[in-house]
Amino acid sequence: MPSAICTSSRSARLARATDVPRFRRLVRALAGIVAGALIVLGLALSGAQAQVARSPDAALETLLDAARESMPASCAQADADRLVRILCAKRIRIGVRDYYPLFGTRTGDKREGYEIDVGLSIGRMLGVQVEFVRVNAATRIPLLAEDRIDLVIATMGHNTQRDSQVRFIRPHYYQSETVVVGRRELPVANMTDLPGRTVCVTVGNGSNAQLVSQGARLMLFDEAGVLPDRLKDGTCSLAAQDDSFFANYFKEPDFSAAFFPKFGFAQVPWGMAVARQGSEQLARAIDLIVQVFHRDGLFIDIARFHRVESAFLQVQQRVWRSPECNVDTGSTNPSCILPPLDAALKPTSFAPEVTAIENWAAKEAGIDLTLPMLKTAPAWSMFQEGVLNSLILIAGALIATFVLAVLFGAAMAARTILVRWPARTVTVVLQSSPIVLTLVIAAAIAHGLFPYSGTVALGAAIAALGMANGCNAGQALAEAVWSLRAEQGTERARGTAPGMLRGSGLFARALGRSATQIVAFLINAAKGTPIASFIGAPELLSSLTDITSFASGRVTTYSLLLVFYTVVVMLVVWLCGKLGVYLEKRQARIEEAGKVTA
Amino acid sequence: MMALVESLPAEFLPSFLAGMAVNFEIAVIAIVVGLAFGALLAFGRLVGGALGGLAASLIALMRAAPTFVVMFFLLNAIPRDAELFGMPFALSGVMTVALSLVPYSAAYVADAAVDALRHLRGGTTLAALLFLPNVMRAFFVLVMSSSAGAAIGVTEGVTVILRQAEKLPALDDRLVLFAIGIVMFGIPLQLAFVLISFIQKRLSRAAMRAPAAGAPQSGP
Repeated sequence: MPSAICTSSRSARLARATDVPRFRRLVRALAGIVAGALIVLGLALSGAQAQVARSPDAALETLLDAARESMPASCAQADADRLVRILCAKRIRIGVRDYYPLFGTRTGDKREGYEIDVGLSIGRMLGVQVEFVRVNAATRIPLLAEDRIDLVIATMGHNTQRDSQVRFIRPHYYQSETVVVGRRELPVANMTDLPGRTVCVTVGNGSNAQLVSQGARLMLFDEAGVLPDRLKDGTCSLAAQDDSFFANYFKEPDFSAAFFPKFGFAQVPWGMAVARQGSEQLARAIDLIVQVFHRDGLFIDIARFHRVESAFLQVQQRVWRSPECNVDTGSTNPSCILPPLDAALKPTSFAPEVTAIENWAAKEAGIDLTLPMLKTAPAWSMFQEGVLNSLILIAGALIATFVLAVLFGAAMAARTILVRWPARTVTVVLQSSPIVLTLVIAAAIAHGLFPYSGTVALGAAIAALGMANGCNAGQALAEAVWSLRAEQGTERARGTAPGMLRGSGLFARALGRSATQIVAFLINAAKGTPIASFIGAPELLSSLTDITSFASGRVTTYSLLLVFYTVVVMLVVWLCGKLGVYLEKRQARIEEAGKVTA
Repeated sequence: MMALVESLPAEFLPSFLAGMAVNFEIAVIAIVVGLAFGALLAFGRLVGGALGGLAASLIALMRAAPTFVVMFFLLNAIPRDAELFGMPFALSGVMTVALSLVPYSAAYVADAAVDALRHLRGGTTLAALLFLPNVMRAFFVLVMSSSAGAAIGVTEGVTVILRQAEKLPALDDRLVLFAIGIVMFGIPLQLAFVLISFIQKRLSRAAMRAPAAGAPQSGP
């Protein structure tokens, strides 16, 4: 028993002894449970807080709050981000199109369209007034760089080339492709039908380079809005522009009956953009706003209201509603955003030096010098080709004029009317034809005989310029021959003839006598060579027009063109002057020799 | 040919005549502005000295500037929202073509005016009057040259012909249409040249020993 008691007493002691740890364990367990619960709760709460912070809405709120908190002190800072400046001014300047049906149009002071409503919605999100500024394809980027607008929403396709000029907002707010539109009966089905044809385009359109590379000639316009009218009045037989632009016109029965989208190419997403410098916070804010607009379907609502095709926007809504993209980092996630169209042109090896010269001219002399023809490999190649072809064209036109002058002169000086009158008739016809029409006729005949190529166009231009000027110079030469014959006849009648000149002798003397007129028409031929671009001859004017259609710097480019041709023509004037002096001296020597013989 | 003429739309002739009126309008603007600038340049040349040298250099430059390139320069170098003395200075297509012809017309007028003023100083008034047919000749050269406007979408005579030609699939038909265009441009031009020649001959005879008109100038 004692043992039992003892045992029991020991058990009792043991029982007493073991009661404390059990309690402690219980307390510990409870404490552990509470702590665990608190940790789980804490983690849960922190996780929820993190989830809220990662939504684009919250990120936008945080960004705007931070910007507002820095005000008004930051309003006066020169280096303040554009977002701060917009909030300080309570106004955002948005560049929009004036004449782009469905997207941005203006009637008096009233603007409407998809992009206008998107701009107004952004203003509301920022809590500021919206001031719209008119831009077009050529001015939208320079106006951003010059700080004349804060944001551009102007049908601008996002390509890699423009990425270096502006900061594009991601995600994109629309997508289109370039479509070539022409009369239904025009036999154009794809790019291979374009060589030799003129396509009307807007300056700065990203797809122009692709059209040029296919051999199309471009007629440039500042505003897309004029293209349908130019198609209707026949100025343009083909026009290339975004499908979104033509969509509205194809809803018109008359337009749809006459015109047809021949083919499309260069699918490109449209992006809003801000300046690359000083707009980091603004860009971030609008990235987030656009994300929210996609997710919430605001873009789709606005598009439907303006009868704009919304298939792309519906796809984008699904993307931006997905958990992966509906976060504040969505706009940098490659699986959420679309890549820009790859339109980057390979730079020349000396492009950095050219840029340095441009910067130096801007900084030191205040001259806005832009040399696009020297900065990218395709432009440089086109420029070189243009210069070479211009020189060939000028040389060819001079030779053709001189040779045809001699031939026309000989024919019109012929004693038989069977030769003389046809030559005179051709001369009258050529004199009566405006040079543009003569060129077009030459090109039409040349293209009837040979397949279209730049060389054929150059040849046709040389022939046309040679004929137009050669016939006039030939007429002067023939008149000189006839006047010499008349003088010789008079002298023979008087019996003072020093000796009759015939054949080549007479002709050489007539050449000297008509030297001034011949030189005048040679100069005229050289001056007329740029018109060859009208029929697609790939000379310098044509090349530079193509280059400026996809690059900036029109003022510098056309100034250089004017200088080039003026200098070349002055050189031709100088050379022709030398030729004229030589011919006149030669004539004087012949006349002197005649007198001596007499 | 008759089939083609009959197939031409009824509005072709009125459109073409309206287009030719644009050619004349461009030429009138170019010759008027050219007369003003040309007179100043001629005056400068006759004054001589540094002013004369400057005027001569300007005339040489203007004579060498190709019309077609000047036209594209004006079209591209002048911003659409440009202002002159606070007034909007956006050039229309017609004005762009007209102004591109001014360097030629001013240089031509300057040369002709210098000749005329020298004749006047020499007392040969009738020879000086040859200035008038010379300006008339320049005017008709300008009418023909204004067809360059077709390249920038100005609806002048040649533009109307080219638009019509584009609708004709056969080369033969297009050539016939071009021939019609040449005849329509040629009639006023040749009549003008006959008139100019007549006036020149009358003046030359009247001037008796006055020198004949100078050498032809190159076109624009």
